[in-house]
Amino acid sequence: MEIELFRQSKATIGDYEPIVGRSTIEELRVLADKLSGKIIQNINSTATGGGVAEILEHLVPLLNQLGVDTRWQVMQGSDEFFEVTKKFHNALHGKSESISDEDFSLFLEVSRRNLNELSFFGDLIFIHDPQPVALISKKKEIGRRWLWRCHIDASNPDKRVWDFLRGFVVDYDAAVFSAPNFAQRLPIRQFLISPSIDPLSDKNKELSSKTIDSVLAKYGLTLDKPMIVQVSRFDRLKDPLGVIRAFEMAKKSVECQLVLAGGTAADDPESEVVLDEVRERAEGSKDIHVLLIPPGSDIEINALQRAATVVLQKSLKEGFGLTISEALWKGKPVVASAVGGIPLQIHNKLTGLLCHTVEGAAYALRQLLSNPQYARQLGENGREHVKQNFLITRHIKDYLLLFLSLEHPEDVFYL
Amino acid sequence: MVDWLVQNWLSIAVPLLVFLAFFMAAVWLRGVAYDAFDRWVAKARWEGSQLFVDSTRRPFLYWCLMLGAYIAVQVSVLSPEAKALAGRVLGSLFVISLSWVIARLSEGMLKLYLAKLKAPPPPTALVINIVRVTIAVVGVLILLDIWGAPTTPIILVLAAAIVFLALAFRDMVPDFFSGFQLAQGEHIKVGDFIKLESGDQGYVAEITWRNTRIKTLDGNLILIPNSRLIQSTVVNYGYPLKKASEPFRFQARLHLKELTGLRASNLPELVDILRRAPDSVIYYHTHHFLEEHQYLTPEPANDFALWVGDVLGDEVLSEKLASIDTFEFVTIGALKRRIIDVIDEYLAEKTDGRTAPEGREFHFIRSISVVLPTSYVAHDFREFVEILRKISIDSLYFHIFEAKLRLQKGVNDFSIWIEDCLEEGDLAAKIARLDPYTYTLEALRSTIIQLIEKRIK
Repeated sequence: MEIELFRQSKATIGDYEPIVGRSTIEELRVLADKLSGKIIQNINSTATGGGVAEILEHLVPLLNQLGVDTRWQVMQGSDEFFEVTKKFHNALHGKSESISDEDFSLFLEVSRRNLNELSFFGDLIFIHDPQPVALISKKKEIGRRWLWRCHIDASNPDKRVWDFLRGFVVDYDAAVFSAPNFAQRLPIRQFLISPSIDPLSDKNKELSSKTIDSVLAKYGLTLDKPMIVQVSRFDRLKDPLGVIRAFEMAKKSVECQLVLAGGTAADDPESEVVLDEVRERAEGSKDIHVLLIPPGSDIEINALQRAATVVLQKSLKEGFGLTISEALWKGKPVVASAVGGIPLQIHNKLTGLLCHTVEGAAYALRQLLSNPQYARQLGENGREHVKQNFLITRHIKDYLLLFLSLEHPEDVFYL
Repeated sequence: MVDWLVQNWLSIAVPLLVFLAFFMAAVWLRGVAYDAFDRWVAKARWEGSQLFVDSTRRPFLYWCLMLGAYIAVQVSVLSPEAKALAGRVLGSLFVISLSWVIARLSEGMLKLYLAKLKAPPPPTALVINIVRVTIAVVGVLILLDIWGAPTTPIILVLAAAIVFLALAFRDMVPDFFSGFQLAQGEHIKVGDFIKLESGDQGYVAEITWRNTRIKTLDGNLILIPNSRLIQSTVVNYGYPLKKASEPFRFQARLHLKELTGLRASNLPELVDILRRAPDSVIYYHTHHFLEEHQYLTPEPANDFALWVGDVLGDEVLSEKLASIDTFEFVTIGALKRRIIDVIDEYLAEKTDGRTAPEGREFHFIRSISVVLPTSYVAHDFREFVEILRKISIDSLYFHIFEAKLRLQKGVNDFSIWIEDCLEEGDLAAKIARLDPYTYTLEALRSTIIQLIEKRIK
């Protein structure tokens, strides 16, 4: 199935010029021009929902606007197939999963079916995540350049699943990971390309104070006290109870309120349990607000982040953690755990404060709430850091460079 | 017949004599007038004199004949109707010849003076045609009046046409006069380097009667209506400075990070991998902080120092590694040896180092540089400074950092060009002496601009 949604995209590449500057857009055009005549064929497993689809929805139209013929196709799979790939996904994250030989056989069978049904027309075939990884078998027949993009944290994968997938990955021309510690030892070239945020999306665009006020009113919030906000789904790995403890410790010396905003995951029954525990723990404290935000409430999340005095992300484990970039882009001082991709976004004491414990989080909160000037400076640095490194234009640039570098093995090459 | 002549000889002879007398007097008068004109021209040295004489000498003779004929007719015994008819015919001939002379004279004068005009020349053929048509129209109106035909409707039609044309070309008129103003005021000349309110800047390539063309630094042409240019604030830097023997072509460098899959958990592992690491890895870990945090701090530490301090908690070694002055080194190999030496010396004294916790290992990354052309080319200092203000930091980075160390030129590209192509050794040396690692990239940009501006003021 080929996705045509990109033709309805709202933002144009020119809309980013006031944000990132003319020279950045000019550089993108020069790079895109060098790929003129090539077709980039993206293949993933879903057209909607999930991070990969969201990234492709933004990137594919912008690449086409730049003149790079970029297509997007979705492989077909049964519910059973996606149950297996969900297990693969969890296993790559290091979670113990029981995967049978039948599961592997089903994976191979669906991959074979897609090999026959899909049309492989790209000069460069860009496969996203483990679900379509086995399509590389087509390379022996048709050649071309093949890239595998791993969007998930594979820093501590289940060995059996990784060894199975590795057998396919090594046939690619190159692999792409989001953080250095996600990478594996592979005999092929591996590139580091961080994810990005779209400054023009509902989640990140500028909001009027009227909109922010209406969202605060909707959730019964006021800004009579400095507001600490953590936006994340209700998951033990996001340590919401640790957040409450850190807040209570900070509140002893600085007047403040806490907003824990997030949703529950449909595929994670434990999230309801976690939400109940958080509500029970917060009961009786008028300064702790637990907000259940429905999916797709991007404007609401944007408004809460913009209303925050400090944004907190006290995760125990994290993927790349793009919510950090979202908060930094809004110029907010951020306190976050030094896990996953967070240290790439926060350089301690330069673009935010890193912590390792509840006590550390509480101390960092006190520092920022008591020193607004320092907090403002960190927020400004953080916004600049995101502007330089984590906006969608940087993501496009990296992809264009990646496509070009496949033909250039040298360290320095001239276009 | 003879009888008729005998009876009427006086009626014939008198007009004939009058005609001859007037003709001879007119010829004499023409000779006197032209002699006086020649004397005046010799004194005044009017360039249009020959044209005037050529255009009027022969017609003047015809006008004398016409005048003689008219007087002769008036003193003749012809009927009043015949006299009136003769008067109209002679008047018409005079108007036609006069119009022709004026048209010829105007055409010659316009060609002579438009070529010498300082102001932007409007197209000569267009102006000449307008004058021709105007003279022809006036001539026809006078002829019609002589013959008693009604002229009012024609005048009305002409007035309407003039109003219509004035409305149609109303936008051009201010441009036309502004073009004259521009030239007469001499505020802006072809060849001047100017900066517009919009921020666009470049050399004035041409001033026409409607527009001024400006060639920008990236080679594009901006067309500005003269009236708008005259009303806006323009900074005129004057004529170009000394041209470089070769232009400076700005390039930009973008980079991609390639993972090596190699990681170190402690100092022995770090130094062991460092020994085998290619230059591209050393380059990445001594420069990426600078690029990614160029806005943040003028003294970026290298990744090795940051990791040893933040993750291994060894502040002494971290300080030693951070104090390695990258600017001192001309090759990455030499820089690599220095980093290894510092760690080796430290390990020789202290062997019980910490191990990084899981997830905080040092990951070795290669820097892939992609160099691409930009549209900016500088031929002199003025262009160079203005381009320097607007190029991306990727371009600035390439010419300052990448050129010196990674491409092993030993000195930055700007200094090389300034010395080799502009023969400004002192300025080149000043820029070469700047330690770029102690500036943010924006501060470095400003400093170089200030140095050049000081030189060209």
